[in-house]
Amino acid sequence: MSTVLTAADLRGSRRTWRVIKSKLMIGLTLLSFIVVLIPLVTVIGTVIAKGAGIVFRDFPAWFTTDIPVRTRAEGPGMGPAIIGTIVITAAASALAIPIGILAAVYLNEYGRNSRTARTVRFLSNVMSGVPSIVMGLFIYVVYTLRFGLSGFAGSIALACLMLPVVIRSSEEMLRLVPNHLREASFALGTRKSRTILSVVLPSALPGIVSGSLLAVARAAGETAPLLFTIGIVTKGNWDVFSGPNTALSAQIFRNASAVQAGPQERGWGAALTLVAIAFLFTVLARLATSLYQRRQAR
Amino acid sequence: MNNVKRRAFLAGIASLALLATACGDDESSSDTTQAPTTAGSDSSDAPTSSAGSETTAMPMDLAGELNASGATFPKTFYEEAMAEFMSIYPDVTINYAGGGSGKGKQDLADQVVDWAGTDSTIKDEDLPGFKGGDVLYFPTVVAPITVSYNLDIEGLQLTPDTIAKIFLRQITNWNDPEIAAENPDVTLPDQAIVVAHRSDGSGTTKNFTTFLDRAAGPDASGIWTLGAGDTVEWPADTQAGEGNGGVAQIITSTVGAIGYVDLSDATDAGLNMALVQNSSGNYVGPTVEGASAAAGGAEINDNLTYSAIWADGADAYPITAQTWIIVYKVQPDAEKGMLIKAFLEYVLTDGQDLAGSVSFAPLPAELQQMAIDQLDQLEIG
Amino acid sequence: MSVTTTSHTPTLQERLRGKGGHADRSFRGVVYVSGFVVLAVLALIALTMFDKSRAALSHMGLDFFTSKRWNPPGEQYGVLSYIWGTVYTSVIALVLAVPVSLGIAIYITQVAPNWLRKVMTYVIDLLAVVPSVVFGLWGILVFAPHVLGFYKWLSRTFDGWPVLGNIFGPNPQGRTFFTAGIILAIMIIPIIVSISREVMETTPQTEKEAALGLGATKWEMITGAVLPHSRGGLVGAVMLGLGRAMGETIAVALVIGSATGQITLNALTSGNSMPAVITAEWGEADTLKKSALIAMAMTLFVMTIVVNMTATAVVNRSQKRMGVR
Repeated sequence: MSTVLTAADLRGSRRTWRVIKSKLMIGLTLLSFIVVLIPLVTVIGTVIAKGAGIVFRDFPAWFTTDIPVRTRAEGPGMGPAIIGTIVITAAASALAIPIGILAAVYLNEYGRNSRTARTVRFLSNVMSGVPSIVMGLFIYVVYTLRFGLSGFAGSIALACLMLPVVIRSSEEMLRLVPNHLREASFALGTRKSRTILSVVLPSALPGIVSGSLLAVARAAGETAPLLFTIGIVTKGNWDVFSGPNTALSAQIFRNASAVQAGPQERGWGAALTLVAIAFLFTVLARLATSLYQRRQAR
Repeated sequence: MNNVKRRAFLAGIASLALLATACGDDESSSDTTQAPTTAGSDSSDAPTSSAGSETTAMPMDLAGELNASGATFPKTFYEEAMAEFMSIYPDVTINYAGGGSGKGKQDLADQVVDWAGTDSTIKDEDLPGFKGGDVLYFPTVVAPITVSYNLDIEGLQLTPDTIAKIFLRQITNWNDPEIAAENPDVTLPDQAIVVAHRSDGSGTTKNFTTFLDRAAGPDASGIWTLGAGDTVEWPADTQAGEGNGGVAQIITSTVGAIGYVDLSDATDAGLNMALVQNSSGNYVGPTVEGASAAAGGAEINDNLTYSAIWADGADAYPITAQTWIIVYKVQPDAEKGMLIKAFLEYVLTDGQDLAGSVSFAPLPAELQQMAIDQLDQLEIG
Repeated sequence: MSVTTTSHTPTLQERLRGKGGHADRSFRGVVYVSGFVVLAVLALIALTMFDKSRAALSHMGLDFFTSKRWNPPGEQYGVLSYIWGTVYTSVIALVLAVPVSLGIAIYITQVAPNWLRKVMTYVIDLLAVVPSVVFGLWGILVFAPHVLGFYKWLSRTFDGWPVLGNIFGPNPQGRTFFTAGIILAIMIIPIIVSISREVMETTPQTEKEAALGLGATKWEMITGAVLPHSRGGLVGAVMLGLGRAMGETIAVALVIGSATGQITLNALTSGNSMPAVITAEWGEADTLKKSALIAMAMTLFVMTIVVNMTATAVVNRSQKRMGVR
């Protein structure tokens, strides 16, 4: 786009037209935001309108009772899926977050711009693009076939999806830690591991927490990696390591193809619960970020 | 009668359980293998002898968890039976994950599940893959697969040839003369046909295509050329939905759509269902009675496998699907073994009465008895 | 990585490399191992996929990629139509998502006042965490049944037009390539927006002021300074969105209509995509078909990896040029 201007352009009608055009285009950019609001508001609105009924009817039955054994039955009961989502996501976080943070420490504090570090960084970005269904099949082949259906199989698959996200966000946060903090610590004779653990990581912590929470929010909503790995149950299973399990996302998927009103309503209820959980984690992440910014500002 | 039998059987199990606990670990394994077989035969052969004790030993001590997967076609019925069974024995948990007959067979082969549901038999070449040895087939129910459609006309009559042409996209409009010829009293609309089938590999697809293959395939009129399978090479301009419910959804939301759905989901979705011409030339609707008639006309093999599709009989509904629960003959884990046996016994006796309420047909009496007798072949412990 | 077993007090040099003392060395080991987990997992995925897909690939040969016949009873497994479905839905998603995303990113970074910027970023973040299965549920139960009227209108309106007449073809359905494309577009907008935003924010203030100082309007400043400056990063952002769209499974599986062998420009007809086929058919698959599905997963894996590698490389290069890293 040429922006060569002549003196004539700066006066008269061409100028007016250019200003109008500018306003018009900027109006269009604002319009594009409104266009995106439409599906967001519609989806969330539908989920609330169709899900709130079953979630809050006979409160807290939705959260405490088992899923009806008869799929076609009406009425609440999503407790086992909530339990499943919690334990599976928690186990996935327990795997992915420490490894991810340590890998970020490697990248930013040790590897830096070495060839190996660049490769790891590059592959970590590549890994963030591995389709979730591929991850699910992979875990099915290497884990489920040997150890059977369990929540943990799903956790590993989710952890593989979370790992690159955690690495990326943590590394970015570590990079923001000013170098003089490290230097000051070294100058006091502190060892590198101590410096990292007691100076670098704490000062990047809110940012790392924020990034990790966002990764958790995404992972909680994943469906494809769970389809082949965790099986399905109607009673709650707190034991993530043994026995089949279920999750909110899996229940939504299952109920999406039902014709009866009962399962469809449970699908909407599960969607509302899942969206609420994901939003909760996003809000927590936001809080962590603003905490971080306030600390930076000090 | 059935009820008495079940209780006697469960009493046997209960006493066995006590025995097993009393015996402890020192007991040789051969003894425990023998015991359940005797208990099982007691219950079915001489129920009256133990009739006095069984009420007191009301089998509250049946506990444990069974995991299963497999056919989605009988899922509604199994859920019904499981729910009732679990309400009788609150300490029992049974999970049926669905996922398709193939998944059930594979999961049982890999010993990922304790029992599996399947609408189709295991291929001979796959048998060596079953890590737990011999497999027993227990027929459970039969049910019609409906040909459902979205038109403002009830009871449309269709021949297998016409159905084959519709699903091959050779007939693409509802006012086709061929459809009109079979339905002289009906004014057919000028409406494009939308064909809906299953997106997931499915025993229902296998049974539906088996019907087309037998009734209109190479050995019959030769119109149907796609063979029979869990998935077949459908014409490109067709749609598919996930599970029976998914197909029913498409039909409900699309005027002019036609698809094959199990009776239970079709009824729940309020779909119109076609009358299909059977091998005797009669147009028969998809009903529980039509399915029973078809199952009654089927020829049954020694291992209780059979096919009710395109079976003989004037009142037989021609697309009637059979389904089995498959389990390993040898059950090394006594607790699971007994649980499986108890559940199967329930499904084959009291559970049969539940079938009608969810649009499934109970087994014909003769086949039911054969299945109950086969329970004795389970080797538990 | 040679570990020196020293007993003397570590020098500053050694401390900086994290080699001083026992605790340091073990910490360093842990950190290195964590770094290599990524390599190990990726390698394991590649090996497993390769190993398990060999049966189908040797059975089908090159036909696996060039045939559109997917006929399990006949043991014919050709994935061409599913590759088409994956590519076509992703392209539709990009066509819809890119202008909108760029518009949003421009507004957020160049126009919006500070408070609005925060609100908008927040809203986009929320959109990003709505799980795909929720979009799928909405798509199958609400959107697909109600969009048919609009599709019929599109089909009628563009009847006979070149290209558009082909894309909005006759006999529209509810669950189609286009439906899947729309849902995918909604899902990738947050990704494209967030990366574009980061890239656009790096435009030096001096360049922008120079443009304005020369008498350029705001829009001319954007097209003349901001967009050229961030072009590389924007291409990368779009490609990352493409990668995400190609791999998306659940939402697409629910709304694409699952037709076999469909290779057509008509976006208003049912089709299928690779992830959706894997989801739907894995349950019932026998050994050879499982192998074919894994081979399909591997194809998808390779396609997304190529897209992502390119995207990462493009973003990295443009970042380097802008002196970010």
